[in-house]
Order: sequence, then structure tokens, then C-alpha cells
Amino acid sequence: MSRPTSSWKKKALGGLVLASLLGFGCEPPPVVPTADGRQNTHTARIEGSLVVQSRARGNAVVFLYDADRPPPPQGTGRPIAFTVIPAEQVFGPALTTNAPGPFTAPFTFSLVTAGRYTLRGFIDADTCGTAAVQPCHRPDFIPWYGVTSEPNAGDVGGAAVDPTTGAPLTLEVTADADGHPQPLTGVSVSFSDTARVPVDRPAFQVVGDRTLGNTPKVLRLQPLQMQNGAVDQRTPGFLVGYVDANRDGVPDDANGDNVPDFSLRVVVRKLHPTLPGVEENDVDRNGVPDAEGEDYLHADGTLDGKPDVVVLAARLMADPLITALTDEQGQPRMQPVVVPELQVAVAPQALDARNPAAPAPLKDVPRGRYAVVVIQPTGQTWRVPNELDPALAPGVGLPPVESQAFYLEVP
Amino acid sequence: MSLIAQKQYDEGIAELEAAYAIKPHPNVLFNIARAYHDAGRLTEALDAYKRYLASNPPDAGSVVTTVAVLEEKLKASEATAAATPEDKSALPMPPPPASIQAQQQLSSLLERLEKAIERAESMPATASPAAASPAATTASKSDGAESSADQGAVPYEERVVTASRRAQSSLEAPNATTVITAEDIRMSGATSLPELLRRVPGADVMSLGVGSANVSLRGFNQRIANKVLVLVDGRTEYQDFLGLTLWSSIPIGLEEIERIEVIRGPGSALYGANAMLGVINIITQSPGSGRRARFSVTGGTGNSVNGSFLSHGSSGALRYRASVAYSQADKWSRDFASDRPDMALREPDPDIGLRGARGTLSTVYSFGEGRQVGLSGGVHRFNTEIYPLGTLRNYYMDGLTAYAKGDVEVGPLKLKTFWNHISGDAGPQYEPIGQRSLIRDVSSNLFNAELLFARAFHLGGEHQLNVGVEGRLKRVDWDYLGPLRQEVHAAAFIQDEWRLVEPLRLVASYRVDRHPLLDNGKPGLAHSPRVSALFIPFEGHAFRASAASAFREPTFLESYTHIPVPVPGVNGASALTTGNTSLRAERLTAFELGWRGESAELGIDWDVALYQNTVRDLIALSAVQRLPAGESYDPVTGSYLLGRSLFQNEDAVYTARGAEAGLNMAPVDGLGVKLSAAFQSVSSDIEEKAQCGPCSQAPQLKLYGGVTYRTQADLEFGVDAAFTSSTTWIEREPAAADPTRIDFVSNPLKAHTVLNARVGYEAVPDTVNVALVGSHLGGAHSQHPFGNRIERRVYATLTVTP
Repeated sequence: MSRPTSSWKKKALGGLVLASLLGFGCEPPPVVPTADGRQNTHTARIEGSLVVQSRARGNAVVFLYDADRPPPPQGTGRPIAFTVIPAEQVFGPALTTNAPGPFTAPFTFSLVTAGRYTLRGFIDADTCGTAAVQPCHRPDFIPWYGVTSEPNAGDVGGAAVDPTTGAPLTLEVTADADGHPQPLTGVSVSFSDTARVPVDRPAFQVVGDRTLGNTPKVLRLQPLQMQNGAVDQRTPGFLVGYVDANRDGVPDDANGDNVPDFSLRVVVRKLHPTLPGVEENDVDRNGVPDAEGEDYLHADGTLDGKPDVVVLAARLMADPLITALTDEQGQPRMQPVVVPELQVAVAPQALDARNPAAPAPLKDVPRGRYAVVVIQPTGQTWRVPNELDPALAPGVGLPPVESQAFYLEVP
Repeated sequence: MSLIAQKQYDEGIAELEAAYAIKPHPNVLFNIARAYHDAGRLTEALDAYKRYLASNPPDAGSVVTTVAVLEEKLKASEATAAATPEDKSALPMPPPPASIQAQQQLSSLLERLEKAIERAESMPATASPAAASPAATTASKSDGAESSADQGAVPYEERVVTASRRAQSSLEAPNATTVITAEDIRMSGATSLPELLRRVPGADVMSLGVGSANVSLRGFNQRIANKVLVLVDGRTEYQDFLGLTLWSSIPIGLEEIERIEVIRGPGSALYGANAMLGVINIITQSPGSGRRARFSVTGGTGNSVNGSFLSHGSSGALRYRASVAYSQADKWSRDFASDRPDMALREPDPDIGLRGARGTLSTVYSFGEGRQVGLSGGVHRFNTEIYPLGTLRNYYMDGLTAYAKGDVEVGPLKLKTFWNHISGDAGPQYEPIGQRSLIRDVSSNLFNAELLFARAFHLGGEHQLNVGVEGRLKRVDWDYLGPLRQEVHAAAFIQDEWRLVEPLRLVASYRVDRHPLLDNGKPGLAHSPRVSALFIPFEGHAFRASAASAFREPTFLESYTHIPVPVPGVNGASALTTGNTSLRAERLTAFELGWRGESAELGIDWDVALYQNTVRDLIALSAVQRLPAGESYDPVTGSYLLGRSLFQNEDAVYTARGAEAGLNMAPVDGLGVKLSAAFQSVSSDIEEKAQCGPCSQAPQLKLYGGVTYRTQADLEFGVDAAFTSSTTWIEREPAAADPTRIDFVSNPLKAHTVLNARVGYEAVPDTVNVALVGSHLGGAHSQHPFGNRIERRVYATLTVTP
């Protein structure tokens, strides 16, 4: 059967085939991010080594903080991220000994955006070993609950510090000309037995009724010892000391009220009206005021147009503390001491603490519920109400404790 | 066509010869021989049979017998020159068209023959020496035993085996059925199986990578599409432990495929688990049915390379098919660049989208009529992409698949056994530097045995009975699942096709599957009934109504998985994904009305289907649930568990309603037109549209149009386009501000059109063919929010068949 085919057709097809063959792609596939958020975000990393000089044994937990939002006691910042370096990796064959080290292990914070950061951490120590000290703890850090997310007695603190001065370092992840963050490597995070945490967290209960009227109210905070499930707090009291920022051996008095400044602080913070346990205007619980939220009238009759961080004016009753911080010779003790009770005077005066350095008085005291937060000089904190509130605890697998449902109410 | 209609047989058959010249498939040649034979033109028939024999067909033995009889008869005719042309042979041939009625019958017969040729049909009739797959062949033979009606029916029309597990006319199939023939495959220029399936009405083909696609029917597509059973010659390619078909791991090449049968509708009544929304049965060429050698090389953009060698042959009663091939192609796009300071590229070659070297061998030994043994095996060393569920993204798998299959047929009994293996490394293609890696080894072995029995009998009408029992052992060793997991499954089915009274037929099927976990973690049963009624009021038109139930079993992944998935950017945290051994099977209840018709005069056939699918107990990942405090730390990974997301049966009931229409036309010689449209709507009884993933993820409208044209000269042209309407994908993603919070994010996806074209040229008749293929010519687009951006590619192919 004849198959007449025009020569131009053959040439055309041959040309197409040839062009195709010559055009075989040797270029690699293009980089095209999909809808996945991570592919559309340029990040870098912070990596380095832990240096541990300690007889404690346990996982090392390192937290990444925004340098502008430091954690307690300097601020109220919450970690952006954390990483865990298992004890086996840190201590290796020395895990079962009490050799002091030093031990090193690598760590990495992944997917870090450009910015300024600080690193803090601790060894979540098992202090119930052969040389157990009381109160001893098994590793008990759980990052998901406020009542379990901080170090306890026997844990060993650490931070990225200047190796010469020992001062905390601010780490910066820079961006190149295209705005792409560059990795920060060679960071050292040091842990030392000199930074052993001396006491458990200031777990407390409040004695007294919960209503704040038109007159100041004194709250009595007493230590609460709990050993139930994931919660193990056996603090004998509250760790209190004087502030001596200039290290001159004399207690500071920053506000000039002739009352020395204490290193333990108490904050009474307004809670969200409906979300249990959530602070008002911090719905995402990141410690940063939300972009939108409640804005209250300031004492000067203005609105600043920003969601307020509402706190009540609260101060520690100084006399019992001064007594505890005075030695036999009548001199101030410059080392913190443990006191069995705190008395906190709460005034019917609200402040907008959006700028913690200069809280702005509000015209009225916003109605609602307020939490009481105690911050020890070690940075350890405790707050009521918390997840041990019987209304919340069963749902998150924690033991219910009635006293931990306390809140101060402004009717 | 018109010539035959006008009873100008010589001219008509001449046109058929011309058609063969354009499309020289051996089976077409056989059918031409049969047409001459039926017409009583024995000399031409003898010539055509001999030409057919030259193609080395698997049924050469019986055709040789036919040739010998014809030659003897011709000699006798020559000896008795005055003798009448009446056929006095012992062959069961119809008489020549002595009467007007007979001539009309022959005319009709040839009409359908021509139509069948135009549609590249390749399945000869039951009584013919069929060049079909072993399944088709054996089923055809059972037909022969039972079907007196078939004997008077059309010996050349399209026949399918998947719908009822026996050969039958497409008209008689109790389900909506679409057949993609070898010629369709060749003319499409497609380089992958999923691309071919876009032409199936109601098929939802979602390509995420050049080697990674998810295929569903009638909605419910997703990453890891798990509701359509994919078979190769009856052997599952659905990876039971994952609930996924790894299309690019299948050891079979497109050049080995005889046809693909797609059952659009529930198939659990015959195939059991996972044939929920449909069955895709890839039927390979019968050993010995093709040319001795076929070489093909393809090169194209995207560093696409493909080379294959295929050989058919026979030695006595032994026939074989062997193939080897290599293929590779770059990804269409990459998610991350190589020099990122935050991401590590984990796969060996981050540019490669698929790569594979494979080989298969298939043999059949015939002991005599109705007795044969088939042995086959294959291996495929491959590298492909996989897109898993939840917050996991683009995975790679560097692995190996292998299979061995043995079929024994003794009369009405068939024993089918196979072993499937897959193993390799699998894990994320990209992982944040410093983050714990999820790359793990996986190894799965599946052993399956099935015994089938078919028998025809009369009892208040004609019955065709099919029964079978099946057993399956699955063993999976994968760190994601914990220790070695093993399950034993068993099943039995029965189907009866009852020709109650013409033109009504009833098909009743029932299958029961025993699953080791279905009764709340203990062995339980899944029942899958199906009832269909076929009404064939006049020839060429079949109306069907069916009701069926089907199910998808929980996969190993859904039952046993235990994966602490790292929280992006928080290296000390993981979100635990766990399996659930108390899952119920996903259930489908389906109702369907259909009309399949053919018009030989117009060269048209069509299929229309209306359906309602009700899906219950969908298995999906739950939201992340907080774990008890005491279980927060995972010492194995050294991370704190944010919570647990476990597989669970959803409370919602989803209803999919839709209409599908497909139309094939061959209006003039050489021209083929295929059109299809599918409309569907998925709703939920309790979920709002915005929160209903299966509702918003199912494209409401899909359109397909394809045209092929073969010139009388040596050129072939083909172009096809598939349109898919817009969708919205609700996917999990860690919150940008707080990656420890997993959000459900709506990702809109634009409508897209896949446009492909092919130009072919037969440089040396029957020997050398070149083709230029353009794929995805419609422009860059994505078919899933997390998938590659699909780019145009151009390929050139050289095929030599010496």
C-alpha cells in the first residue's frame, strides 16, 4: 500500500523532533514554593554547643527568647522555642557517674527568623539518686503546663553568656542583602553547678476572700506543697532578697519610698473574661499584648488605642520581709532567704503595664477576674489560678487542687 | 462505513483493509480475517489469517488449524470448480449471506466490526482465538461454555472482564465502565498511567509530582488517595499498608498494557476491601501476543529519559513476554533551594522526580483446552515522590518493588497466587537543619491466594455463577508502625448473573471479608452486597440500575502508626500521630442509573451515569489532643509530646451526587473523538461547606475532550484537554506564630486545564515510528496546594519494531 507523504511534512516533523532533541532540558527544576507556609518563609538557625560543668544528670533544656522580651525575673517573656538534648547525649558514658565534667553536646534551634535572641536553659536533673537531697525531684519538666514548665530545686541553670564577663549574651541572626537570614553558629550555652536552683517554685495558695472592694485588700500567700501526678512542688516558702543592682551591698530603693526593693515580685494581672486561665489581651499566650483587644480609659481621660496590660497596684508588705532579711546584728542580709508567708496589699487602682517601666494609671478598675503571680529572684514563677483548677485539671491530665482556682475579683 | 451499509461489501472490506494499514494491530487483522471468513470469501480470509499468524499471536495453534481447514476447503473447491461456495467445513462458521436477511445481518456485523476497529478494539470473541490477557482469555472460555446468547451476539465488540470477573460485553457490565485501549495509550503520548486516566468520566487525577499522583473516582481525592483499587492483571498495586497506589513504582510499562478497564463505582462485592469508589484494572498483553522485539527511546525536557525493550515469543505451548526499561525525569519544581541555611535536603538527588529501572517476565504454558499455567514476575528499582497526610509534606522513596504471580487454570477452576514486595528508604525530602529526621526503612510483603470457580447452568433462565475464596497475609516492617506487624485476611464471594427473561438480566453479588481488627480491634466481617438490573430493550442500548455497598479497610498506617512528628522550629517538641486498632471500615452505599448505547451507523457509543454515593465512617486524623501529663515526654525521640492526633472514624456522613457522560465518535476513517463530562456535588450532614474537606476538595466539574486523526499517509495527530474546576483544600499546618498550634488552613486551588498533544510519523512502515509529544501545554499550574508547579514538557520518541 502506498503511503504518499509530502516531503515538507517529513521535513517539518523532522525539524520538530530535532528541535525537541536539541532542546532537551538540562536546567534543574525551578524552585517554586507551594502553599505550605514554611516554604514561603526564609529562616536560618542557631547552633552551637552546650558546655556543662555539673554533677547533676538529666536532660538539658534550652529556651530561645526574644531579646526584647526576657523571661522572669527580668521580664515576662515566654520562650519562642525550646530544644531538648537528652542526658545520654550530654553526658555519654558519664551519665551514671557524678563526674563534674565538663561535658559538651551540640544543639540547634531550627527555622529561626532574623532577630535578636537570648538563650536560657537548665538541666532537668534527677536529684533522687544515690546522693539524694530533699526535696529531690525526678525529671519533672513539662513545657505544656504553667505548673510544670520551670526548673525546681536541684536543677542547674544555664545560659548563653559572655565567656569573659559571664553576662548574658544577646545573639543576633542577621539577614543578607536579600533579606534572607544567615545562620548563627558556634554559640555556647554554659551550665554550671554554681547556678543550681536552690528551692522549688513558689507554689502558693491564697488565704482570704477573693473580692476586691473600694479599699485596699491584703492577700496572704502561703506555700503549697503538692506531690501528685506530674506536679511535685515542696517549697518551704518564698525566696526573697533585696535588690542590689549596683552590687554595693546596700539594698536599692529605686522609687525612693524609703522601702527597700525586694527581688521577689508580685503581679496581679487581669484575666480574659471568658477563656479560662488566659490573660486578657494575650489570647495567644505568647506574653506579648495582642494586636487587638480591650483598651481602657487612662487616668488622664485618654485612650492610647492599644490593648492594655491591666494590672492592679500591688505591693509586698515589707515589715515581715525586712525582719527576715535582717541578721542578728541588725544588718541587711544580702543573700535571699526563704520566708513562710507573703502579705500582698492590693489597692483598687489599675494600671496599664504595657510599658512595664512606666505603668500608666487607669481611670477605673476594670471589672473582672485577676490572677496573682509571684516571681522569685531565680526567675521561678507561680500563678493562681492555674491548670490545677479543678475545672481544668482533669481535662489536661493534671491533679485538681481547689486552692489553685483562686482569683481576685473586681465586681 | 457507508459502503457496508449500502451492502457494497468489497468496497467496505477494502476500507477495513485500509484501516488496518493505518492501524496495524494484529487483532484487527484477525477480525478482518473473520469478516472475510464470515462473508464466505475464503481466499481472502486465508490470506488475512496468514498475515495474522505472521504477528506471532498467542493463539497461533488454533489459527493454524483454521488455516489448514481453509486450505483444505479451498483445494476441494478448486477440485470441484462447479461446487457451490457453501461452507461444509466443521468450523462453526455462519453461512454466507444467501438471503436478504442474512445479508442485513452480515451488514450489521461488519458495521460493528468497523466500529470496533475504529475504536481500536482488540478483544476477539469468545469462540475466536482471543488475543487477550490470561484473565480475559480464561473468562472468555467460560463464556463459551455458558453463553448461547453470546454466540449469536457480536463477536467483535468491546469486552471487559473487570466488572463481573468474566469476559462480557461492555453493554452487559453492571457498572459504569471505561476502557482505555493500547491504541488509546499509544495515540495519547502519555508517559504515566495517571495521565491516561484523565479521560475517564468522573476520574479525579491529581498530580503532585512528576512521579506522584493521587487518583480517585467520584470525589474523595486526597493526599494518599485510598478508595480506588488498582490492579495489574488482577494483582493488587494498592499498597494495603499505606492505602496508596505508588503509580511510579508499578513494574509495568505503558507499552506492555493491552488495555485498562476502569469500573466507576463500588467493586467490593467482587474485589473486597478498597474497591470502594472503583476499580482500575490494568491488563497487560498476553504473553506471545506481540512482536518479537520492540525498542523505544524517549527524551525530552525536564531531563526526561525513557528507554524500553519489549519482546514476545513462544516455543511450542510456552509463550512469554519480557521487558526491561529505564526511566527518569526531573521534578516539575522543587520546594526548597539547595543552599538554604535552614533546610537540609534529604533525598539522594533533589532534582529527580522519578527514576526507575524495571524488568518483567510473563509466561503462559498451555496444556490443552482450558488448562494452562501462567507464571510471571517483575522487579522495579525506583525513586519517587510521595505526599503523606497531616502536617507531613513532600516525601521521597528510594525503593524496590517486586512481585511474583502464578495462575493455574483447569477447566472452570482458577487458582491465582501472587507475592508483592516493596521496600526502601522513605522520608521527608526536606527537613529543618537540626530537626530529628523522619527517614526510615520500610519493608512490606503481601502473599495472596485466590481460588475461583465459574459455571453456567439453567434454572428459571440462564445463570452464570462465579464463586471464589481468597486469603491474604500481610507483613510490614516499618519503624512508623512499631514492631513487625502482620495481618491475615480472608474472603469469599459469589456472583450470579441471571438472564431471567430477555431483555432483563439481574446480577447479584455478595462478598464477605474477614479483617483481623474490624470488630473493635478483634476479627470482624465486612459485608459487600451488590444488585444490578440490566435492561437491554434493543440491540446496542443497555439501561442499568444498581445498588451496592463497598468498604475500605483501615490500613496498617491507620491502625498501628506511632510517629512523633517534629514540631517545625521547636526541636524539643513533637506531635504524636497514632493509629487506632478499633477503627471501623469506611463504608459506601451507592445507587446508580446508567445508559450505555452504541450506534454503529453513526460510529458513536456513549455512556451516561447518575449516581449517589453515601460515605460513612471516613477515617481521618483527629485534631491534636492533649496527652496526660505523665505521657508528655517521649524518651525515644527525646522530645515532649505536644499532643496526639489519632486516626478515627468521622461522625459526618457525606453524600456525593453526580452525573457523568462519555461519548466516543469515529465519524470518518482515521478520526476519533472522545468527550466526557462529570458533575458532582458532595455534602455533609453535619459539617458546613467551609469546614467540609471532602465537599470543598472535590471538583464540581470535570471535562475532557480528545481528538485523534490518522492520515492515509503516515502521520498521526492527537490532542486532548482535561479541565478541572476550582477546589479548596483544608489542610493542617503549624501556626506561623506558634508552631505548637496546628491549624486547619483553607487553601484555594484555581481551576486548571491539562492540555497534551502528539504528532506521530511512521517513518518505516510497521518498523520505525517517531513521535513528538507535548504535555501540560496549557501552562503552569498546581493540582494540589502542596504539589509541584506543573510545567510544560516536550518529548520525542523513537520506536523501532524490527
